[in-house]
Amino acid sequence: MIEGFDNIQWHYLFNPELAYDSLPLLLEGLQITIIIAFSSMFFSLILGLVVAIMRMSRFKIFDLPARLYISFMRGTPLLVFIFILYYGLPVIGIQFTNPIVAGIVGMSLNFAAYNAEVIRSAISSVSRGQWEAAQSLQMSYIQILRRIILPQATRIALPPIFNIFMDIVKGTSLASVITVHELLYSARIVAGRTYESMTMYVAAALIYWAVCIIIGFFQQRLEKRYSRYLYTR
Amino acid sequence: MIKLEAIEKSFADTTVLTGIDFEVDKGEVVCLIGPSGSGKTTLLRCLNGLEIPESGRITINGDSIAFSHKQKKYPINNLRRHTGMVFQGFHLFPHKTVLENLIEAPLIVKKQKRAPLVKQAEELLNKVGLLEHRNKYPDQLSGGQMQRAAIARALMMEPDVMLFDEPTSALDPQLVREVLKVIETLAKEGQTMVIVTHEMHFAKKVADRVLFMDHGVIIEEGPAENILVNPEKEATQDFLQLLVDE
Ligand SMILES: Nc1ncnc2c1ncn2[C@@H]1O[C@H](COP(=O)(O)OP(=O)(O)OP(=O)(O)O)[C@@H](O)[C@H]1O
Ligand SMILES: [Mg+2]
Repeated sequence: MIEGFDNIQWHYLFNPELAYDSLPLLLEGLQITIIIAFSSMFFSLILGLVVAIMRMSRFKIFDLPARLYISFMRGTPLLVFIFILYYGLPVIGIQFTNPIVAGIVGMSLNFAAYNAEVIRSAISSVSRGQWEAAQSLQMSYIQILRRIILPQATRIALPPIFNIFMDIVKGTSLASVITVHELLYSARIVAGRTYESMTMYVAAALIYWAVCIIIGFFQQRLEKRYSRYLYTR
Repeated sequence: MIKLEAIEKSFADTTVLTGIDFEVDKGEVVCLIGPSGSGKTTLLRCLNGLEIPESGRITINGDSIAFSHKQKKYPINNLRRHTGMVFQGFHLFPHKTVLENLIEAPLIVKKQKRAPLVKQAEELLNKVGLLEHRNKYPDQLSGGQMQRAAIARALMMEPDVMLFDEPTSALDPQLVREVLKVIETLAKEGQTMVIVTHEMHFAKKVADRVLFMDHGVIIEEGPAENILVNPEKEATQDFLQLLVDE
């Protein structure tokens, strides 16, 4: 219940002074967040494309592993996956010297599955006639994919892929469990020191939001660019 | 130019082509007619390697492939490089302009130089009456314009044989003529062509020979006047009568 507007302790929710003072530390964390997010996006897109193509193969040796991969990655929590990657794998001799790398690897592997599904459905939404026309012009599978199908599929895949991108940005916060000093981790440090944790969470949330707004801006521009060939009557 | 021997093709449990034999000479225009489902499209697609027959032999301009159900992979480009295909649904590349559609394959497949290709493309576009539309995207064109662009695109690969699968069936009636005129021009120039069509007047005009197909076999073939005016076989007569009734 809200008991009188005047009595609300706004400072408890957000203390602008503290937020401002801790901004340098938060921005340092943001750098790490951005590094992880962009690298993960990059690698998960490439891996996603490979998995998508395997998934569309009529050969079981490609299709089955791709299915299993997608099923596993989509069916396990990212948090648990990153945790096992960093703390579990040393048992079998694989150790990440840098938790940031572990974070990137974990996120890339995990989100590649989502990207694969998006890319696959976008590719299969391009009509079969496009493949056949290109084939009849003697283009090879790779040429057709690269020059005819993917440019059209990209337009279709952009919105869901940018959804994934934003999920990745926010997902980087999970890397704090393996001691990565990203944005949320930095916020927690200040929170622990000052006991004004709510201010720090709100500040972190606002920064995540800002990043996503900027990404959304690029999404709009790309969407425009990739649909300029569509004539709006 | 083209020789088909005992071509058989089936999908799952339905046999679509049952032992097709025919030849097309250089410079000849052959029209393929027949009821829906008789296998015309499938036959044309076999010539372009979009379908693989189970058995038989296809020879185009000296390149020959013998098919057998034991084999899956064939050097299909040996056939493909002699044939250009025009589809009922055009299938232009929507993300490329008309000009880009034309130069794409020669540029990428044959690795030819861009400047002479653009020149060649513009000459072809002029011929099909689309020069002023060269920088438009397919989405900005009418169906007739799209089909003419698609014809020009196939011609860019300088095929020995042009294959047309009902090139005007997807068009509004008033757009049919402009496309047929382009094909007529090609016929006059001596382009070898196999055309699947339901346009009997057009067939009469351009075809050196007409093939009537039904249930995966060629029932009757001969000069256009014979087949279209005085067919011998009952199936052909019935089919033509049906068209007249419509
Ligand atoms: N990819 C396919 N899979 C299964 N059956 C097919 C396939 N393509 C064609 N068929 C079948 O093969 C038969 C011949 O089809 P085809 O398209 O060659 O006929 P058509 O003579 O071109 O007919 P239309 O005049 O309607 O275009 C039809 O019964 C059709 O259902
Ligand atoms: Mg057909």
